[in-house]
Amino acid sequence: MEKQTSFKTSPPLPNLSIQDWDSLLDDFSSGDASRRRKHLSLPLLDLCLHSLSRRDLPSSLKLSLLHFLDQHLPSIPIPSPPFPSLLSSLRSLLPSPDPSPLKEQLLITTTSLFISLLQSPSSPYLQSLIELLLPLINRPNHGPDRQTRGLVCESLRELESAFPCLLSEILGHVWALAQAERTHVAQSYLLLLTQISRNAVVNGLLSSSSSILSTSTPLTPFTIPQIALSDQSLVLSPPSDVNLREIRRVLAFLLDRPRDLTPGAISVLTSTLVDIADALEDCVPAVSALLKVNFSSLLSSHNPFLSHSILSLYRHFSEAFNDHDIGKVAYRLQLSASDTSQKLIFRLLALHWLYGSTLLTSQVSSLTSLPGFYPQVFDPLAVKAKKLDAISVIASEGDEAVSLLEDGLVCISYFRWLPGWSTETLVAFRAMHKLLIGVMPHDGSDNGPGCMRLGSLMESTIFADLENVLIHLALEHHPLVPVIATFSSRLLQCETHSPVSSRFLQTLDRCLIPNLKPGYGLSFYFPLLEKISENETVAPKGVLELLKRHMVCLTDEHGPDTGHRSWSQGSRVLSICRVMLKKHKGSQIFRPLSRLLAFTCQNFPDLEVRDNARIYLRMLACIPGKKLRQTLSIGEQKSGLAPAPLPASLIDVPPHPSPDLKKSTGIGSYIHLERLKPPLVKQSWFLPVQGSVPALSNGSGCVEGGIMDIVTSVAPSSPDESNKTDSSKVAHQKEASRVMDPNTALLLRVLRTHFGCIPDYRVMPGIKIRIPCMLRFESDPFIRNWGFESCDEQTLPALYAIKITFSTLSKYGKIPSCRVPFLLGDSLKSDLVIVSVGQGNDENIEHSNFAKVFLELQPEDPMPGLIDIFINANTATEQVISGFLRPVTIGIEDMFLKAILPPNVSDMWVPRYYSDLFDTLWEACGSSVNIGRETFPLNGGKGAVLINGTQSVKFLEVPEDVLINAVERHLAGFVVRVAGAPLVKVIRQNRVIENIVWDEKEEEEDDLDVGPSGDDFSAENALVAYSREESELDVEYTQAEMESNSNDRSLAIVDKKKSVGNICVLIFLPPRYHLLFLMEIGYGSTMVRMRTDHWPCLAYVDEYLEALF
Amino acid sequence: MAGCSIRAIWILTPHHSVAFSRTFPVVERRWRSACARDGEVATQEPLPSDLEVAAAFTDRKQREGSARGFGIRVASSTPGSDSWVDDPVTRHIITLHINREEAEEYMLWPVIVHTSGNYYILVLPLVEPKKVREYRKLYQRNNCGGSVKEHNSLSSLLLSLPCITGAFMVAHAIGDLIAGETSDPEVVATSSSSAVGGLLDTLTGSIGIGVAPRPKPTSVPILASASSAATLMGSTLVDSSRTMTKPIDKDLLRGFISGSMPYGTPVDLNQNNLAAIRTTGFGSADPPPADLRQPAWKPYLYRGRQRVLLMTQETINAALYDREDIPDSFSISGQINCRAELEGLPDVQLPLIGVKPAKVKMLSVHQSAQYSDHGEDKQAIIFSPPVGSFVLARYQVSHATNPAPVKGFYQLSLVSEDGGQFLFRLTLMEGYKSPYCMDFCTIIMPFPRRRILSVDGTPSVGTVSMTERLIEWKIVTSGRGISGKTVDATFSGTVRFHPRVVNKSLSVSLSKSVLGCTAAEDSDEERESSNNSVNVEDVLMEKLNWDLEAVDLEEPLCWQAFNYAKVSFKITGGTFSGMTIDPKSVSIYPVVKAPVEYSMQVTSGDYILWNTLARSPHAAVPKDSC
Repeated sequence: MEKQTSFKTSPPLPNLSIQDWDSLLDDFSSGDASRRRKHLSLPLLDLCLHSLSRRDLPSSLKLSLLHFLDQHLPSIPIPSPPFPSLLSSLRSLLPSPDPSPLKEQLLITTTSLFISLLQSPSSPYLQSLIELLLPLINRPNHGPDRQTRGLVCESLRELESAFPCLLSEILGHVWALAQAERTHVAQSYLLLLTQISRNAVVNGLLSSSSSILSTSTPLTPFTIPQIALSDQSLVLSPPSDVNLREIRRVLAFLLDRPRDLTPGAISVLTSTLVDIADALEDCVPAVSALLKVNFSSLLSSHNPFLSHSILSLYRHFSEAFNDHDIGKVAYRLQLSASDTSQKLIFRLLALHWLYGSTLLTSQVSSLTSLPGFYPQVFDPLAVKAKKLDAISVIASEGDEAVSLLEDGLVCISYFRWLPGWSTETLVAFRAMHKLLIGVMPHDGSDNGPGCMRLGSLMESTIFADLENVLIHLALEHHPLVPVIATFSSRLLQCETHSPVSSRFLQTLDRCLIPNLKPGYGLSFYFPLLEKISENETVAPKGVLELLKRHMVCLTDEHGPDTGHRSWSQGSRVLSICRVMLKKHKGSQIFRPLSRLLAFTCQNFPDLEVRDNARIYLRMLACIPGKKLRQTLSIGEQKSGLAPAPLPASLIDVPPHPSPDLKKSTGIGSYIHLERLKPPLVKQSWFLPVQGSVPALSNGSGCVEGGIMDIVTSVAPSSPDESNKTDSSKVAHQKEASRVMDPNTALLLRVLRTHFGCIPDYRVMPGIKIRIPCMLRFESDPFIRNWGFESCDEQTLPALYAIKITFSTLSKYGKIPSCRVPFLLGDSLKSDLVIVSVGQGNDENIEHSNFAKVFLELQPEDPMPGLIDIFINANTATEQVISGFLRPVTIGIEDMFLKAILPPNVSDMWVPRYYSDLFDTLWEACGSSVNIGRETFPLNGGKGAVLINGTQSVKFLEVPEDVLINAVERHLAGFVVRVAGAPLVKVIRQNRVIENIVWDEKEEEEDDLDVGPSGDDFSAENALVAYSREESELDVEYTQAEMESNSNDRSLAIVDKKKSVGNICVLIFLPPRYHLLFLMEIGYGSTMVRMRTDHWPCLAYVDEYLEALF
Repeated sequence: MAGCSIRAIWILTPHHSVAFSRTFPVVERRWRSACARDGEVATQEPLPSDLEVAAAFTDRKQREGSARGFGIRVASSTPGSDSWVDDPVTRHIITLHINREEAEEYMLWPVIVHTSGNYYILVLPLVEPKKVREYRKLYQRNNCGGSVKEHNSLSSLLLSLPCITGAFMVAHAIGDLIAGETSDPEVVATSSSSAVGGLLDTLTGSIGIGVAPRPKPTSVPILASASSAATLMGSTLVDSSRTMTKPIDKDLLRGFISGSMPYGTPVDLNQNNLAAIRTTGFGSADPPPADLRQPAWKPYLYRGRQRVLLMTQETINAALYDREDIPDSFSISGQINCRAELEGLPDVQLPLIGVKPAKVKMLSVHQSAQYSDHGEDKQAIIFSPPVGSFVLARYQVSHATNPAPVKGFYQLSLVSEDGGQFLFRLTLMEGYKSPYCMDFCTIIMPFPRRRILSVDGTPSVGTVSMTERLIEWKIVTSGRGISGKTVDATFSGTVRFHPRVVNKSLSVSLSKSVLGCTAAEDSDEERESSNNSVNVEDVLMEKLNWDLEAVDLEEPLCWQAFNYAKVSFKITGGTFSGMTIDPKSVSIYPVVKAPVEYSMQVTSGDYILWNTLARSPHAAVPKDSC
């Protein structure tokens, strides 16, 4: 065999070997552009055509080459049109008398390339091609080459269909040939005739006065007729009589023997006939009658393709068929659907055809055809599903709908005890859904007989029966409960049907809930309870009372081995409560829900559930409805369907283990980064609140941290001005634009001054918090893990080039990483020394057994949080250690800062300034003062804030000396004023708190009013003040809380009589919030009134205050 | 748009790489011009490359849960997925999303999926762009689903698209070709009692020699109803043959495509005819008929000794309950196979006997045939036979005149989680006289989810064997068929299983995807404790059912949820329905003397004895059907 692998483009053509061709074909079929590209320089077309005549190549390869040309030539850039070489190859092969696959394939490829590459028929090559082909078909009944003749007919048909009217002038010849041909390829002649006639009819050639079947012009030489070349479509004029007669003859011939054709050919024939009949419309009315006679019987053929082609005739010529005929068709399709020997897809299609035609569905709708639509035991589930569709159609016509459907569902009745995900269940619920939307379709669809409007549907027996079925299912077969829940939410999501679903949930609430028993079995119904809770149209009372009884029951049955179960069920109950909190606007949930939560947080055996219940209770009581809903929706994207309100990532669990090194996984157990001063509250939970005051986020241009962009209606200040903290100027500018009473004006001025000092962290460095920590590691486990044999007792292991990076989910800004060049391990003997040092909290200690690092946070939201720590270090043996350490907890008190002092306040006036600021902020955070939607610009000139105050109280039952002690220890820096002679005396004596305002006058009742507007401080008002404005949530108290409240009140009254004095505490929470305490200290107990412009912090402050003692 | 045209065919391996692809530039040109006419710019994208098709198919598999998809809207369905349309047919007519880096994503619809021999055959027919648009509306609808009666439903779309049906025919033809299956039905010549060959044998004149040139898959009756047998046998038995993937004979496939649809429009999908034309061609010895026109499906005329072979094949599906509340149900489907070796183009008339008493419904007849029903005893089929064997007619019987060939009951009672007692009491061939002959009869008790440890007990007749997943009881073995007598067979014993291992993760993942919730998150104890029923067996069943997998929509029921025994048998010498043909009254025009041979055979399909003591599936019988 000749072998030449060099790819040269110069003539003579390179002879590619079999292997070369194989790899070339492979490269092209791979679809990879780069592999193709290397062959593009070759003259591929000529190479292929040349190879056809080579004797050394196998014929299968030659065929592959032709296929290759067919598939890929249109997408390959070729320098010159391929037609001449194709034609010459064809010319050399075609005349040979024996039929060969190669010859046929060349014909196919050539025709195909002509059609796909030629844009218009005005090419001389096309004319040559047709001249080459026409003599071939002009030999009817010639035996040996009949297959080739058939193929040539097919080629001509494709050309005619691509370039309409191309062959219109030889219609007469084709007509004669088609009549003459008697072998099996007569079909191809017939189809060619059909195609040419169709184009002639559609393009208006019938209007000519000369006969379209005329054979006056010879078959060859062939010229492309003018009509094929003109782009303009002709204005159709009525056909001339002579041509009408001619076309009738042609049609009669075409309709004569459909039985002789293959199904594919009949399909082509019928669709073409439809086109012809459409174009001729009234001129040839006999067509449809002929169709009926000749084609109808083919409908009962095995071949679904054939049946479908006949069906499309019925669709087009429906007027030719009477009800009896249509009924027969419907019956036939119904039979095909039951034909077990037929392939599944065709059984399904038969049902689709039946439902797809309005003509036929009317037949389906008559009850007489019902038996055929009862699914059989051994019908595939897909067929069962489709047959049930028919039952739903029939059923929606009458009242006995549901009983019919139930009969139909018998065939899959065992879905009741199969798992909810079984296919049978899907089919059953699909059928119920179809029934429902069959009765009440979506808008825009036909409201035929049996269709109802919303109101009538809800009153109908169908709906009531269906509800009963579902309720029965839910009661008897609890694995189906999630499926029923899914079913109802599917309807809920639909605009048209959501009222139906709401009604259904109401019925469930009425009929199902009272029948459910509390206990462990109730957990099956949680998905449904959740759906009911979500729906605002259902009164929540029923569900909540059931859940309350459930919680009581869980508490009663709690024993040593039910811990996990109590936790899981309790959490799920709480998640339903959460849904309630989120979805229900009315005040009706308040009483039952607070009862449920109060019971849970007091009595439930599981601690976590108790805690969570407490948070919810507090949220319910303290956060107004709208804010509450927003708060609860925030965490949603993260936590998804998690039952607990807290995303798992925020619960104190060790973070993801280091993925790579096996040894690194446990490094958190012996390398420690610890806070020098542990937080007061060992926080185990964090509310996932992100935008700190979401209520603000409605404001335009608002971004993180509740800071919004200043709308530049104010005269723009020059950049150097804005950099200076010329707060008074800003304040004056603002002030001038409003008219207000002097008190408020004073208030606003103080606030503007204050906020003008707070840096806007978005445009400039924000306020930073540094938390000192200590890095150390234990030698023993370190050596064990990293295997230093050489280590003797005295040598301590060491770490080099330690890099610590921090990450957190909380909004603490970017925390800069730390580097420690060298660190020795702890002493092998004991680490007592270290502990003592750690407690010593001495900043000057330098020791290589531990390193001091600072966590530098720039909070964008003053919240507690967790900081994940990742460490990277080298050992002495140059091993790389990396992994996560135990996270560091950040407490709320880490956020406590002193308010920023404006630069122009002299030292002497500092106590006075703070005291005034406290009063002002107290006022501003109260609910009664009208500072409206006043905004306060921050330093930086870009951002401004709104004050959105909240208040709360905390009753501390501790003796006054303990309290004073605690305040001095933990809050000394934040005290701005102490009032009341006895108190002043004690605190002054201690000399811990200094440089504040001392108010020694005897406390009178009036003096409690700190604010100038006479804010009322009675306990009741303080608690519910916020609900005055937004009365959606009617805040009330549970019995337990009521009791404790009344206790509070009585104590408070008693305390007022023997009050020691007040301490005012002003805490600044970065980036721009405040927390104010007014501690009314009595003998034996203290009432702490709190106000803040950052309500989420209240949740933590509560625990913080408790932890003080 | 004329007829049915195919834009592209792709054949994907089980691992979703393209093994074969073929596009039709002629059809593509038509698609482009249709798009241009409709002003559809987005759909004018060129066809995806093989790699893109493979990626899109894999992507869809991930989106829809399996290669075929859910077919029904489930909780995890989203707008823009096939299951959102909520119709089982979307398991066969799918959408592919083609993602191109440089261009926008576009969808290919309708893509026909057919599986054969482990290959996925995808066929994309040409439809008008506006039909694609209509489907897109259904596919992305924002409401809870379509009803049967609405306008522009999926059904009306499918009715208006015969090309989809055509594409399925193409896909099935290609599937048969790559699986090496012939479409010839079985015809037995009684004289030589051997199956006769295909069309090629007729042409080469090798009839009666009994050596078929292509090995025909012998009809092993146990495997006869393939769909349920696969589940019956448990996965282990059938897997070996399933996982083997025959390489595709690309040349054969290309030859078939060039012959059957040279330009993408299928003209003749008859594999046998095309193969015959390709291999033998036409010579001067095949003159065209003198005055008749040869049908397109009969390229060759028979020459040689003339005879007509007829065979009635019936399959019984039966559900036997032996319970008072549920009647036993039988459904019989039958077909008449024919091989008419007659010269010229004759017409044959075939009178049928016993159509009315058996309440036979004629389902379909061959394209060349017509069924005529003229009163009480005048039913006949008139046809002009093609060459070779073909299925003349298919029918269904709702009322058999004969009694059930296998009657009785099967009881299995689970006494513990790992063991049970069973009892069979059967009567075979009661009321059947000679020439009815039962060739063989085997009973299989499948336990696909348990591993059998041991079986104790001896049957009154026959032999028992056991594999890990099933017990097989051969009552009548082939070669020792019974004829003219009744056989009573009983078999009682105990079966023990290996302890069960629950695959819980599977059920959890299933429940997540189908229900969209974590229904299985409750611990096992919770489930048990909540169950108030006192019946031990119910508790056991419920426990067993918890890890059941959902079956495909192609299956009739979740077989694994039930205990049953499947009967396989073959009866020759008569029909079950009672409908027969009298060979003597077959008439041929123009009259020739040709012997007519007629044979009959009844085989079992899903012939199931449901465990009388447990739950079993059944279907309602419409009141007015009798």
